[in-house]
Amino acid sequence: MKPYNTKIKVKNLNFFYGKKQVLFDISMDIYENQVTGLIGPSGCGKSTFLRCLNRMNDLILNTRVQGEVCLDNKNIYDPDVDVVELRRKVGMVFQKPNPFPKSIFENVAYGLRVQGIKDKELIAQRVEESLQMAALWDDVKDRLNESAMGLSGGQQQRLCIARAIAVQPEVLLMDEPASALDPIATRKIEELIFELKKNFTIVIVTHNMQQAARIADYTGFFLMGKLIEMDKTEVIFTKPNKKETEEYITGRFG
Amino acid sequence: MYTHLHKELEKLKTLSLKMASYVKESLKDCIYAFKNMDTDLAQQIIDGDEKINHLEVKIDEACLKLLALEGPVAKDLRFIIGCMRASIDLERIGDETANIAQTTIILSLKPKLPFYSELTHMGNKSLEMLEYALESFFKPDPDMAIDVCKMDSTVDKLNNDIIREIIAYMIKEIPAIERSVYCINIARRFERIGDLATNIAESGVFIAKGINIKHYCQFDNR
Repeated sequence: MKPYNTKIKVKNLNFFYGKKQVLFDISMDIYENQVTGLIGPSGCGKSTFLRCLNRMNDLILNTRVQGEVCLDNKNIYDPDVDVVELRRKVGMVFQKPNPFPKSIFENVAYGLRVQGIKDKELIAQRVEESLQMAALWDDVKDRLNESAMGLSGGQQQRLCIARAIAVQPEVLLMDEPASALDPIATRKIEELIFELKKNFTIVIVTHNMQQAARIADYTGFFLMGKLIEMDKTEVIFTKPNKKETEEYITGRFG
Repeated sequence: MYTHLHKELEKLKTLSLKMASYVKESLKDCIYAFKNMDTDLAQQIIDGDEKINHLEVKIDEACLKLLALEGPVAKDLRFIIGCMRASIDLERIGDETANIAQTTIILSLKPKLPFYSELTHMGNKSLEMLEYALESFFKPDPDMAIDVCKMDSTVDKLNNDIIREIIAYMIKEIPAIERSVYCINIARRFERIGDLATNIAESGVFIAKGINIKHYCQFDNR
């Protein structure tokens, strides 16, 4: 029996940049309200895989996908899928904090306005809720109209998380969200992820294996475009089944 | 890739091997000292216990440092935990050998009792167990660990038989009660050494396979 509901089911996914295949036959279950960590050496395909989960790779020319990515049993690569709606449901936070050159308030409200929400009270309410969920409200509540560019790196990243969750997604994809931050800001993001998983399904790519060990419930190890092993994080870090995983996480790889 | 962590793990292994070798020698010597009532050797064992204690502290420190600084995972993590557990068991075996040596010195001043050879035999069995356990731990060879568990039943049986025999003897020979009680103590200590050797073998299985066979002594059907 599965421990959790499957939110995303990836079936035999292959991905190509032009003629070069970079993902090979990946199948994976991503569980609801769980944190799934993806680890592996640079160039192993983990970020490409992450971007397949909300069709971000569609934006890159000359790419091709085979296989299925089912979000709540619906293949997101079906022709009738509205990609804008998909990306509302499956939000993304990037490696470097990328706030818009706007006020703190407007950064969080932006997605709501794009959705066509005009009710000012509702927008203000969602902005506050999102900033609170991103553990940033207390830092910024007195300066919501100041530029987001004046925030520290850690605050900017939490603002980006607030911006991502303001549109009430179901899944959050995070591509090394703490790699550009200092240890204190990193810890804050990690604590935030613990809180966020109560409401969202989270998939996080990280180069920091200790971070994966700390925050992920499930961990997948990628190598040269293949998913070598996927299991509960405690199994991956104490008793991995595959030799390649063991060699990578113990630093014997390469 | 050979990293700093692996160099440190090699050092930990060397320390553990050193401690294991001291403890094995101490047990071998204490059996010889008892068999031959060699009080000089018995005293050397008592004095040598400090060396073993010191190594336990060093291993403890090395493990703590590795855990705090290196973030070990998988087999590296299991090796460190296994060494910590084994060093505690080895230190206790060291204590037991010192206690047996102490009792040997006391017994050497009194007339011999008829079951010394059986006690020596039991001591040799516990030594055999320890040698097997250490080999299975350092190789590591999980199958040998299962053999150690089986050997423990033999030592337990020897212990029960000897104690029964000593009690029967005490009933008949009241003046020998004090010496007999000392002998029961020695039997109990050899039996305990067998248990501790089993623990070491179990730690070896944990390192090799990542499974805990404590109090169970089997790999499968769990």
